[in-house]
Amino acid sequence: MHEARLCCSLLRLAEEALGREGGGRIVALELEVGALSGVAPEALDAAFPVCARGTPAEGAALRLRAVPGRDLVLRRLEVV
Amino acid sequence: MCGVCGCNEHSPVMHGHAHGDAHGHDAAPGAAIAAHSHGELARRVEVERSLLAENDARAARLRAQLGARGIEAIGLLGGPGAGKTALLEATFARLGAAARDEAVVEGDCATDLDARRIAACGARVAQVATGSLCHLDAHLVEHALEALDLDGVARLWVENVGNLVCPAPFSCGESRRALLVSVPEGDDKPAKHPATVAAADVLVVTKSDLLPYVSFDLERCVAHARAVKPGLPVLVLSARTGEGMDAWLAWARREGD
Repeated sequence: MHEARLCCSLLRLAEEALGREGGGRIVALELEVGALSGVAPEALDAAFPVCARGTPAEGAALRLRAVPGRDLVLRRLEVV
Repeated sequence: MCGVCGCNEHSPVMHGHAHGDAHGHDAAPGAAIAAHSHGELARRVEVERSLLAENDARAARLRAQLGARGIEAIGLLGGPGAGKTALLEATFARLGAAARDEAVVEGDCATDLDARRIAACGARVAQVATGSLCHLDAHLVEHALEALDLDGVARLWVENVGNLVCPAPFSCGESRRALLVSVPEGDDKPAKHPATVAAADVLVVTKSDLLPYVSFDLERCVAHARAVKPGLPVLVLSARTGEGMDAWLAWARREGD
């Protein structure tokens, strides 16, 4: 239900990291989704392309990886 | 073979990446890699940042600020109708005049109905109307507290939006959280909502006066919860009859800790 909001946090972290790298365009994001995070991967998948419109991550692939625990971690970006 | 992930595509560039799964990429950080589907060289940027970190940090700050004033924040989690507000009413009724030293942040999508019920008990209350938001977070609670006089307050109760899914990952600065499951909801609720059980410090089975009328297996309910969180304390109570309320108050006051 709150996946769109989480996508905003995800994009903010991604854009901060992109800024530190001197900019560019994000083509992929790798996100670790904890089994106890309460987050539905399908909902993230659905929300992400919409939230990413007009950002440097527009059109980027969102790769989700299931991990134990409760956290949601943006592991890495692929940038051009 | 794909130089990025080892998939069996032939060209290192310009290949469509049909498998959408997140596979391990073992190249060194910052290494130039083929950008899938774009035909440009992509570089990898390691981030390793938690999406929950911002709220966690805010919650930790709030917890410390409250702690410095001698206030413990206790969260109430539970589905709609689990009896969260009724439990607070019964708690404050038992405290009598001391209820004025209790404060409540009420989270609901709409209305101040619950805040009126709490105010009628003599406790201090701030209502957060979350609109379409499905949970409270530390930021919302911080703003709610701007409207509350916390001088002399012993406990701050954070009654989350009635929801067994979304509140779990978002700390509101509580030091302990109680998960309420009412008897009519069914004994399988802890099995269906493991993330919320994992976020709880006590399971409170409410509306125990209805046990004779519904098929609710208390042992099964407790077993489901402890399968997720071994050793989780369990309290069984009825806000209406008062059964179990002494043990609940002892838990709230940390008696016997």
